[in-house]
Amino acid sequence: MLKRGFLTTVAAVSLMAAAALPAKAEISIMYMESFGSLIESGIAKFEAETGEKVNAIKLPGQGYDQRIALDLSAGTAADVNLIDSFMVSELASAGYLLPLDEQLAGWDQYQYYLPGLLEVASYQDQVYALPTDTDVRMLWYDLSNFEKAGIPTPWEPKNWADILDAAQKLKDAGVQYPFQLPAGTKQAEAATMQGVYMALLGADVPEGDRNRLLKRDTNQWIGDSPALRRTFELYHQVYSEKELNPADLNYATDIGAAVRAALANDQLGILASGSWEDACLWDCNNPPSREERDAQVGWTPWPGSGEPGTKATTNISGGWTIGVNTNASDKDLAFKLVTTIFDEANFKAWTLANHRMAVRTDISESPEYTADPFLAKATALAADTTGRDTIPGYQTVSALIQQATSDLVDGVSVDEVVQTYHDALVDEFGEEKVITYE
Amino acid sequence: MKNQANPWLTGNLFVLALGMLPAAILIGALLYFTAWAFAFSFTDLALVGKKSVEWSWVGLENFERLFTRRGFLESLWTTVIFVFFSAIVGQSVLGFLLAATLRGTQSTIRSVVEVCIMLGWLLPDIVAAFLWSATTSQTGLINQLIVVPLGFPPINFINSYALLVVTIANIWKGTAWSYLLFSAALDSVSREVVEAAKVDGATPFQRIWLVQLPIIRPHIATNMLFITIWTFTYFPLIFAMTGGGPGRQTETLAVFLYNQSFSRGNLGFGSAISVAMLLIVGVLSLFYLRLLREPK
Repeated sequence: MLKRGFLTTVAAVSLMAAAALPAKAEISIMYMESFGSLIESGIAKFEAETGEKVNAIKLPGQGYDQRIALDLSAGTAADVNLIDSFMVSELASAGYLLPLDEQLAGWDQYQYYLPGLLEVASYQDQVYALPTDTDVRMLWYDLSNFEKAGIPTPWEPKNWADILDAAQKLKDAGVQYPFQLPAGTKQAEAATMQGVYMALLGADVPEGDRNRLLKRDTNQWIGDSPALRRTFELYHQVYSEKELNPADLNYATDIGAAVRAALANDQLGILASGSWEDACLWDCNNPPSREERDAQVGWTPWPGSGEPGTKATTNISGGWTIGVNTNASDKDLAFKLVTTIFDEANFKAWTLANHRMAVRTDISESPEYTADPFLAKATALAADTTGRDTIPGYQTVSALIQQATSDLVDGVSVDEVVQTYHDALVDEFGEEKVITYE
Repeated sequence: MKNQANPWLTGNLFVLALGMLPAAILIGALLYFTAWAFAFSFTDLALVGKKSVEWSWVGLENFERLFTRRGFLESLWTTVIFVFFSAIVGQSVLGFLLAATLRGTQSTIRSVVEVCIMLGWLLPDIVAAFLWSATTSQTGLINQLIVVPLGFPPINFINSYALLVVTIANIWKGTAWSYLLFSAALDSVSREVVEAAKVDGATPFQRIWLVQLPIIRPHIATNMLFITIWTFTYFPLIFAMTGGGPGRQTETLAVFLYNQSFSRGNLGFGSAISVAMLLIVGVLSLFYLRLLREPK
């Protein structure tokens, strides 16, 4: 009897020990290489504080959005994930992300986040992720090539004709990539945001959302409109009719590296991109000095098309976020990792060093931040900005827009591209969810 | 009644079942994935968002769209060109020619060439993609060594000849397989037969065309079967090199499937594309399997 009791006890203790083991399981985080300096210092601090081991999954930017969507839907994602802000509502609607409101209420630094930016990371009034940064979009240009082409700097284009004119001069001066306008499916979200949406916003009057992809009051996608046609016509001019840019940079094995190489080799004329390029045109995690950068490139806001009533300059903002997987093995620990990364000391240092646009008032109102000339100018641009149409379905619409720019690169006519886009929207969302503007 | 030759095995149903288990699991898994793709090709299942959990049946809609929407037929054509030139013409013919020429040569030359061919095969796809992108770029090796010294302006190969570049890259990458297979096949042709043909006055071309080729016919069919199937569904090299672009110039069915399933997020439509690909490869395989049969 005694022996049996002893054995039972041993078995019970072993079982308990085995059950306790998973609690000590490591925590995982997946992020993009360009955010390395923010996340890795956060991980180091977290490991030192908790004694836990963090499994860090660092990936290149190429295909990152698809990977996140696929991993979360397949149930194989990390506990904590860096997510492009536009995907948050969609992923939350499918139940892949953990709502954070309850835990955020107990975190003293939560109060500093800008409400407008938290909205982007929310779904049905619940916050699902915390923003890392926001951005503005502009046209970067290579100063030496502008001089070569005889275009005076600082360059201040007033409309699209001015851009095309400058691109033509750059092309005539032998610049390899006169106007790098992101296009095609491999550019992914960059084609939609840095290219199409920046043009679209200035292609028609803002009334009734005629210059957008979505009519926001009724949540209907715009399948055909003068703004879409004018934007596609701009792509047609650049890539097909006037051949103002070879398409290959958009399809490079590593697009970011190819663009950096083009700049380093003096092959770049105008680049449609965003505020992060102030560091990332050289090295996101370790940019050269202010003087070196200013000697090489300048930037100007995207002008409107020049059509009557359109905006003089356009801007749209995005950014990245960090959220927690619904299936995280230890949700409290996962949240602790998030707040350690976003802890003021770590977050502020990164924001300043990388020239990211701050998402928190305790950072944006700090003297170091307000004293930075680039950030001050970029923040002025952010006074008139807008966000993506981040209702569920946006990711699909964005992919269809990318496909449309691919077809334009191939020389397909604007009429046909609009028709294809319209039909695909109807396929995805049904007739009643798609409208057209005359 | 017990089998006299192996009474223990056949008599023990448990052991038999245990032995069959791995095969059953494998077949089950294969059928499961195929059935999954087939079933979801009739739905509007999405990768993310509401439709990823609340999908519905849409009948044949996805299959109709293969033909009524831009994309599938264009990609099918691109795939046919890619498979024909890179696998059938390129890898197979080049592999055979190399095997036939190298048969009689010295072992050192043969070893050097074999190592060179194998290098392409052994290199990971992503590394190969970077290598080919760099080599064919405007400032790349081909321009620096050939085009510019000959007095021509540098050519942006990926921009102007994308499909040609990925086709050549794939020939470089995949010829090793065909070479090895044909090399082994030619070794199996007995010398006496070839010598006899020589004595009868057959020219070298006739010896290959009328004697050796008919003998290794089954090997040719096997080789065709393999390389057609895997080139038809080949993804990493093209995707890494061009992502299907510029425009849709190198968008083979595998890249198209990826874009529709994971960028657009329409898994239902993606499944329909994969079912169509399965049918096409299936028909091609049947054709090759017929070739494998001995002539009556």
